[in-house]
Amino acid sequence: MSKKKTKVKVELTRRDFLTVAGAALGSVAAAQFLTTGPLSPFSQLKQSQLEGVPETGHGAKTGIYHWGMVINLDTCIGCEYCLRACSAVNDVAVVKPWNIVVEEKTSTGHTFYFSRPCLHCQNAPCVEVCPVKATYHRDDGLVVMDYDRCIGCRYCQVACPYDARTFNWQKRLDVNPYVPTYGTPEVERRPRGVVEKCTFCIHRIDAALNSGLVPGEDPSANPACVNICPVGARVFGNLNDPDSTISKLLEANPSIRLREELGAEPSVYYIPPKEGL
Amino acid sequence: MATVTADRKPISFSPGFLAWMTLIGVLLIIGLVSAALVFINGLTMTNMYDNVPWGLWITIDLSSIALGAGAFTLSAIVYLFGLKRFQPIVRLAVFVGFIGYSAALLTLVMDIGRPDRFWHPWAYWNVHSVLWEITWCITIYLTIMVMEFFPVITEHKFFDRMPWIRSFANVLHKAAPFFALLGLGISLLHQSSLGATYGIVKSRPIWFKPSMPIMFILSAVAVGPALTMSIAFIIEWVTGKRAISHDILRMIARYSGFALLVYGYIKFWDLAAVTYYGRTPAVDQALFTLRQQTPYNFAFWIGEIVIGIVIPVILFLSPRFNRNPALLVLGGLLAVIGVVINRWNVTVSGLFVPLAYSPGTQYVLPPGEYFPNLIEWGIALGIIGYALAMITLGVKALPLFIKTEH
Repeated sequence: MSKKKTKVKVELTRRDFLTVAGAALGSVAAAQFLTTGPLSPFSQLKQSQLEGVPETGHGAKTGIYHWGMVINLDTCIGCEYCLRACSAVNDVAVVKPWNIVVEEKTSTGHTFYFSRPCLHCQNAPCVEVCPVKATYHRDDGLVVMDYDRCIGCRYCQVACPYDARTFNWQKRLDVNPYVPTYGTPEVERRPRGVVEKCTFCIHRIDAALNSGLVPGEDPSANPACVNICPVGARVFGNLNDPDSTISKLLEANPSIRLREELGAEPSVYYIPPKEGL
Repeated sequence: MATVTADRKPISFSPGFLAWMTLIGVLLIIGLVSAALVFINGLTMTNMYDNVPWGLWITIDLSSIALGAGAFTLSAIVYLFGLKRFQPIVRLAVFVGFIGYSAALLTLVMDIGRPDRFWHPWAYWNVHSVLWEITWCITIYLTIMVMEFFPVITEHKFFDRMPWIRSFANVLHKAAPFFALLGLGISLLHQSSLGATYGIVKSRPIWFKPSMPIMFILSAVAVGPALTMSIAFIIEWVTGKRAISHDILRMIARYSGFALLVYGYIKFWDLAAVTYYGRTPAVDQALFTLRQQTPYNFAFWIGEIVIGIVIPVILFLSPRFNRNPALLVLGGLLAVIGVVINRWNVTVSGLFVPLAYSPGTQYVLPPGEYFPNLIEWGIALGIIGYALAMITLGVKALPLFIKTEH
């Protein structure tokens, strides 16, 4: 075919030049349009993100609210009331609670009780991997699910460092044994084929804000697990407000977060047992 | 080009062919029954559960996409690097690639919890998600392969009366190098992002490493062409017609051998860096658990290294063996098995390692336990049946091997 390529003389005609120049200009214009125009993936980003300012939680760091929780491992008695109230209010399947409670031991052998809701990370791995933005950050730092959008690929479940997500493998027909003793369902059951998770009871938070209450300070605006705790081991509130109960508690006590080395920036803090961990 | 279809023999139904079609029919029926059961009852019909939410089907997705990589590799060799000698095999490679990718999409639809929302990644973009990018790339690339292959389909005599389709196909045929280039870019993207799907998950210690995407794409680029080569030989044995010269097939095998060596080299350094020189406590702990409780090490050394790399490399590169087509096909099939075992081992082992997030010393999740049940195997058989049916159809009805270059 083109084996016998001898010396090729480059003759640039006027026509060639115009073609090349036109193509170059066209490419530049197209690139410009695609990076800054309405089709651009960057068009939804805020200016601070474009400038490379590290921002987590999509507004939680700068907004009015950043909902967080403190769990006091020293006072927790492991009664599982938080698990049950959560399961009743959110109508969660008993075998796969959103909020787990387990017995634990410190390195010195002391027994304590460890519980874990969703940690509502500010750099949430689940939010990053979801192909359809079915799980996303709200401006108040909460990581929530859009059950109408989830396709059930379960990548978020695989990516979550804290095992905080469960999948609906089948249509739920179970009877919730915690209703009505520990509460009544305030949200509807999730359909088959979607992933679900703890929401910090956003339905209560949003309703409270609408009626002028302050979540964290008014019990009716708190997540179910916080209200039912008989020893007050869980405190909920606004981490962005330095005068909130939770902020003062964090200021006065040492606290840790789980798997901090991953940089997921959870919004749930733990006060360790007095014997240490 | 018009004479191409004229000398085609009428389709014969020999007893062997009937038996073959029966086998394919049985496989397809098993697959369809399993699919119906899953669609009616949900994914609870499988053995997957919350600790191991991905299993056999993801392995099939990853493997069939990797094995379809012969399409873009050989297309790039012909159209991009200009090695026109390989032109005769491009059609078959694109056809095999199409089968692989469509099989992957079929399995993916089975695997997601809401198959009715399969279109959501196109409607709701999360540009930060590798899975979003993979979905886009796979569907775009499938379209590209249809475009590349469409001219071949229109050579069937069914289209004799529709000259406008032929002329449209001719336009597409002229654009083949463009499609090859586009396909190359898109394939390079998603073949590696399939590895990144695991490589970016920082919560799972044995996945979280930058070599993941590289190992995925290298294995795909090495083994995809070997599968195409093996299929070409098998078709030749079955039909008794030598369509592609053995020199070319042997060169593909040798290329595959060298590519497998590169893959093996990266794998060696990955092993050395992650499990020896730079091992972290989390990786140590994870591998300890896996070695104690699962056949991870056996699958890695025997399945991935010996069966998947060492034996195929010897068969492909040693002059003593690579003149024997049977041994080349054996090498190709072993390399394919190696890739499938690799994808399985990566997926399932990563999920078996229990997450440890508690601040205490006692509580860890139990190590995962998973083996596919009959329904999951049923889908796997159905997918194999689909691939065999497509290849049979292609061999019977399409001019897979006739050169159209003037």
